[in-house]
Amino acid sequence: MNLDQLLGQLRQNSKFMSCVTHWRTLAATEGKYADFPESMDPRIQDVLRKRGIYRLYTHQAQSFELAQEKKDFVVVTPTASGKTLCYNLPVLSAILKNEDARALYLFPTKALSADQVSGLYDMIQALDMDIKAYTYDGDTQNAARKSIRQAGHIVVTNPDMLHANILPHHTKWVKLFENLQYIVIDEIHTYRGVFGSHLANVLRRLERLCAFYGSHPQYILCSATIQNPVELAQALTGRKVTAVTENGAPSGERHFIFYNPPVVNKQLGIRKGCLNETRAVAEELLRNGIPTIVFAKSRVQVEVLTRYLKDCVRDAYGFSGRVRGYRGGYLPGERREIERGLRAGEVDMVVSTNALELGVDIGSLSACVLCGYPGSIASTWQQAGRAGRRKDTAVTILVASSAPLDQYVIEHPDYFFQTSPENALVQPNNLYILLSHLKCSAYELPFKDGELFGGLPDTEECLEYLVENNILRHLDGKYYWMEEELPSGEISLRSATAENFVIIDITNPAHHRVIGEMDRFTVPMLLHENAIYMHEARQYQVEKLDFDACKAFIRAVDVDYYTDADMNVSLHILDKLEEKQAKSGVDVTLGELRVSTIVKVFKKMKLDTHENLGFGEVRLPQSDMHTVGMWWTIPDSLAARYSNDDLQGALVGVANLLSIVAPLYLMCSPRDIRVVYQVKAPITDKPTIFLYDSFPGGVGLSEKAYAMQQLLLEQALSVVLECGCADGCPACVGPAAEVGADGKQNAQLILKELLAQWQDF
Amino acid sequence: MAGLLNKLRMMDAAPAKAPAPQNEKSAETGLYRREAVFPLSTFCDRSYATPETLRTVFGCDFPASVVPEDVLFLDTETTGLSGGVGTVAFQVGLGYFTEAGFAVEQFLMRDYPDEEAMLNLLAARMKRFSVLCTFNGKTFDVPLLKTRFLMNRIRDDGIPACHADVLFPARRLWKLRLKQCNLGTLETALLGVEREDDLPGALVPQTYFQYLKDRNFTPLIGILDHNRQDIVSLAQLFYVLCVQFSQPEAILEQEDLFSLARALEKQGQKEKAMKCYRLCEGGSFRAQATRAMAVHEKREGQYRAAAKLLETMLERGDDPVFAYEALAKLYEHQFRDPEQALHYVRQALLLLAEPRLHKDEAVQEKQNELQYRYARLRRKLRQESAMP
Repeated sequence: MNLDQLLGQLRQNSKFMSCVTHWRTLAATEGKYADFPESMDPRIQDVLRKRGIYRLYTHQAQSFELAQEKKDFVVVTPTASGKTLCYNLPVLSAILKNEDARALYLFPTKALSADQVSGLYDMIQALDMDIKAYTYDGDTQNAARKSIRQAGHIVVTNPDMLHANILPHHTKWVKLFENLQYIVIDEIHTYRGVFGSHLANVLRRLERLCAFYGSHPQYILCSATIQNPVELAQALTGRKVTAVTENGAPSGERHFIFYNPPVVNKQLGIRKGCLNETRAVAEELLRNGIPTIVFAKSRVQVEVLTRYLKDCVRDAYGFSGRVRGYRGGYLPGERREIERGLRAGEVDMVVSTNALELGVDIGSLSACVLCGYPGSIASTWQQAGRAGRRKDTAVTILVASSAPLDQYVIEHPDYFFQTSPENALVQPNNLYILLSHLKCSAYELPFKDGELFGGLPDTEECLEYLVENNILRHLDGKYYWMEEELPSGEISLRSATAENFVIIDITNPAHHRVIGEMDRFTVPMLLHENAIYMHEARQYQVEKLDFDACKAFIRAVDVDYYTDADMNVSLHILDKLEEKQAKSGVDVTLGELRVSTIVKVFKKMKLDTHENLGFGEVRLPQSDMHTVGMWWTIPDSLAARYSNDDLQGALVGVANLLSIVAPLYLMCSPRDIRVVYQVKAPITDKPTIFLYDSFPGGVGLSEKAYAMQQLLLEQALSVVLECGCADGCPACVGPAAEVGADGKQNAQLILKELLAQWQDF
Repeated sequence: MAGLLNKLRMMDAAPAKAPAPQNEKSAETGLYRREAVFPLSTFCDRSYATPETLRTVFGCDFPASVVPEDVLFLDTETTGLSGGVGTVAFQVGLGYFTEAGFAVEQFLMRDYPDEEAMLNLLAARMKRFSVLCTFNGKTFDVPLLKTRFLMNRIRDDGIPACHADVLFPARRLWKLRLKQCNLGTLETALLGVEREDDLPGALVPQTYFQYLKDRNFTPLIGILDHNRQDIVSLAQLFYVLCVQFSQPEAILEQEDLFSLARALEKQGQKEKAMKCYRLCEGGSFRAQATRAMAVHEKREGQYRAAAKLLETMLERGDDPVFAYEALAKLYEHQFRDPEQALHYVRQALLLLAEPRLHKDEAVQEKQNELQYRYARLRRKLRQESAMP
């Protein structure tokens, strides 16, 4: 059955349709075209014609013109709209005009870089010109590095490499820096939060060096559809950026199906498991041979699903290669092989984390199944975009979990289809991040008195701080580096700490082998001792975790359960930044927090039924994060009306409600913030509800929440008022078992009281 | 709300380090320079450093008219070993021959702003020489100095194009015997230098930073002395290498002699290499040397000569398994005598069949190889006898 037939059959299937809350068909759209710009090199025009391209999409032509006008610009169009030509055409054109011209391409992942370079090679080969394009990343051979530095016209790399290998050794890259004409950054929507704040600072460093070498490169940026592409582009580059937003590419018919698994316990608001329902939907597609990508939200989910689906296609010889798992932690070679298998059509189904959300070329898939709401509108569109090319029908099936956010979205399709996708926030002036890069920049080129870093007026104060710490030496109008080590070595752009853990399989004592790696932050959750770790659907048990040496030793096992670790969080208020007070002592405060997290226990969950089989202990050090948060303090007068248990239940409920609505109105992913409560907070000595950025140093979400605190309370109240459950469910305050019998009622009362205080104010 | 600086301090896990103690600063500022002259008797005979020998030692071309006065010996002390652009060579030492003897001229930045003056001086000095000699300078000192020139916008075209890095020939010649080839090991073993109270290299950056803070110059004397000794040793080694490469007969150490033979062979100096190998025949590297000569002769097509060498090895009982196998190959492929070849394979297998205490995978592997050869030879012989 082809996809159209299958969709027709599903519409007739009453069991399936009873779970569908919404089925939207987005009509196919025609392409909008423009002639080749006259200023485009005729050699490039020839090559395009030879490849059957006689016109450009409007956005490609507009990009070319903007590039000629020396504008910095950002192209905002969906997946598979021919974005690559928006930057490749101006760049190749510039190199044809002046063979000394250089361009730097930045992609967020190595996979994307490798993919891009192979596309570029094809163009260059067709041009038959001596233009050299190279990837420069961790996988690049040492022998090749020298010639890339000297002769690469187009250097394709990632921000991490630029930060740790190129900028601190800029004198080896004189040719590149002296002649840098274009900086191309693709997928800029991925540079949000900490990563984006880091990138903005890396670019500030890059610009200082360009100025030193006398070049002034132009930016070409590309982004998926988000609410604030221009704002993001400007925050990242510090330049005024023009936007190209009209998409000229055609698209096929696209179906969007919202699927809510059937309710199994109405009282508790519990639905059938998302994982099992996803499995059923995916199996249907697999049986019909429809090329499909399944997105799961965690590495564990990917592994569990891969295992189920592999069982479904396993042939008599035990071969199940038609289904593959894909996620961070697989080694590069393994990933390249899976990508190639997808393009070649040897793999029918890939189960992935959001690692495949970005534009790696994986050929044309027809269907996309989302196991749970990806957490943001932008992400959902990106993932859905992996299915469906220009002409053909495509389908995306969103299978909701019982998580509140999922339930909200699945029941409010208009929210999804009508709200603009999220803001991507960055905070380049996050002090942690800023200071780290100021150090790096001072290492790369001494600062002169009066020089500003990224136009920041506080530059001097920060430099003086580094002088005080004997990192810099201030003398005769310059700040000199005064340490032995390279500062970039200990700064990782993606997480709080630099080191990754390696995962070593010791099943065969004579042959230990490294099968993957993991960042330090995730390790306590997934690689604590006795955890069941899954890799390519094989189960391993962690035998030993050497935290100091950053190594995890695992052994293959065959058990019928998986493990799930619990994280404990405690809070300390470090500083108050702003405070608002209502009449009867309700305070809302914005301030700085120290958040300590520790993993102490893990649960063993049975594979098929997901029932809890017991607990285990984890002994790992606590990790601390300093961030920005806001909190509501509840006055004693109000608290006194409840018993301790009732108060606790009500607070759980309010915290749950806020963590549902806050991401929606802050336009961020639920992972970016945390909401917690304390019945008696150590500093306020009163019941307190905290909301904080879950990034060291904060990225500006709490400030936004502080400014709209009243709206958040109102929305939290309306969610609980509108919810049809009896006395609490996961989609509002949480199940009664968690909030108590009167929890739903009490949470409403507290919210009303809090709001009343502010409304009168 | 706390001021920015307070906020910064609060973020520190540890309290901010105490500000640098402000000792009485020494009044002197500006680039420090000192010079010392060593008598020529410090060095061995310099006449061996002919362009041909230098070419053999260093594997690169030297100016045809090279004299000792053309060579600039250089060594730097730096603020770190990372090799990134922020590492500074705060002290540069130069050595060169003058009429008075071997002059060591040293520059030291009393503070960062002195760098420009130092590099300008260095650029001017380097222009006077046609050869640069360093220890590991190809990897470390020269790229670092080039970076410093670039960062200070000073032209670096004065760096001599001909660069003799002593580390590489030293490794080829002495690694086998000394295991390590850092300058300290070489000095002790070859030059008889014993350093007293020498400052360990790893402490150099911290010592300099400490001076920047407290302005106490005394510990820097240690760095300067260390650097000066490095330069003298470097120049001594430069000439010792030339002597050794041109006078193998004078080499007493068997390891060195054998190493030299191998180095010469690699350089394509066949005659000299063979001469060296023959010199080895009286010593502890007899087996390795004969073996190397046999391999060499075979490669040159001198099969009889190769066979003779291998037979000599057998007579002496040197590495018999190798000799039998190599002879078997010669007899099978070159002399077309499978019967004799089979005899040698059998001998080799007999040797390997002797009982052993431990299972040795290498032996096992060799046995398999020989068994395979044995079977093939038997097959060949059968086919031959079957032919009319």
